[in-house]
Amino acid sequence: MDERVNRDMGAAAAALDYDAELMLRVKDGDGASFGVLLDKHRSSVIHFLYRMIQNHAVAEELAQEVFLRVYRSRATYEPTAKFTTWLFRIATHLALNSLRDGKNERSQERLDDNPDDLPAKQVSDRRPSIEATMVYEARLEEVRKAIAVLPEKQRAAVLMHKYEEMEYSQIAKVLNCSESAVKSLLFRAYETLRARLAHMA
Amino acid sequence: MNCPIETQEGSALLLAYSSRKLDPQAVALLDRHLESCSACRDFVAGQSAVWNALDLWEAAPVSADFDRRLYQRIEQQVSWWDMLIRPFRPVFDHAVPVAAAAGVVLMALVLLDRPSAVPVAVETHSAQVETLQPDQVEHALAEVEMLDQFNHLMRSEPADSHSKM
Repeated sequence: MDERVNRDMGAAAAALDYDAELMLRVKDGDGASFGVLLDKHRSSVIHFLYRMIQNHAVAEELAQEVFLRVYRSRATYEPTAKFTTWLFRIATHLALNSLRDGKNERSQERLDDNPDDLPAKQVSDRRPSIEATMVYEARLEEVRKAIAVLPEKQRAAVLMHKYEEMEYSQIAKVLNCSESAVKSLLFRAYETLRARLAHMA
Repeated sequence: MNCPIETQEGSALLLAYSSRKLDPQAVALLDRHLESCSACRDFVAGQSAVWNALDLWEAAPVSADFDRRLYQRIEQQVSWWDMLIRPFRPVFDHAVPVAAAAGVVLMALVLLDRPSAVPVAVETHSAQVETLQPDQVEHALAEVEMLDQFNHLMRSEPADSHSKM
């Protein structure tokens, strides 16, 4: 009986969430569906982790671990929540652990992440002047530093709100807290960011 | 309208307004309030500046070999299963139905032989049948099959397929 209820709930959630449906196919042994999920979420997971950790190599390493955990959990997967909620819960958990474990060693390098080590960006035909590039780099550095000084949970909340365009309710599920706690996290985080970045208007 | 900046709910509304996530009705209502409230206007101006500043931070492209490394790690995890069952695979293919049939015959014999059956003997036989549970073998075979699919995906995927991201 319970099993049937769970299956019905799973089917209902999967109907609302195509990703969950793909994951159920992975559970049934369909490797191609895992490839589709990877294609769909690879970038957002890596970018989220990169903005959290501010070290490209570590972010990719953690993203590998995220997808490995997704793959490993396929046999026990039940679509009780949105797939991206589950995915970002794993990613956030790994990011917070990584920040706590390696805070001292990484704090030095993360803001000095050498741009030459990053994969090459596509070069635009309209190349900006050296001055424009320098101004852009300086402003970007300010943004990165402003994000880096935020407490970890505030940082995660801002990144999910701004770049992943998640609703408060979804952020709350990822961070395992109430919606009002998320609102409070975001309010304090944006207050700090306004103090540091408002002059860039 | 009460000043939204005074409550957490109202501040959330102002955040949504600054990030252009409000519906037109709420926007119109807030627009009217902003005309007469300098505190909210400052809040919105500051928040819009933050929003635009954050837009500057474009994400770096993903390494071209990200998928290859991931599938390699998955393969490493799967391969121990493969190594374990590979020598027995032809045996399993034929032995599972035979073992299942033998189990059924054995159970039938035990049931027919009652009440003089010796329970200990039954347990020994059922333990032997358990070591050849079809589920376990199917799971292992599914792992290998999935690995083959990944290998196929890896071969068919061009090296720079996601370098555009």
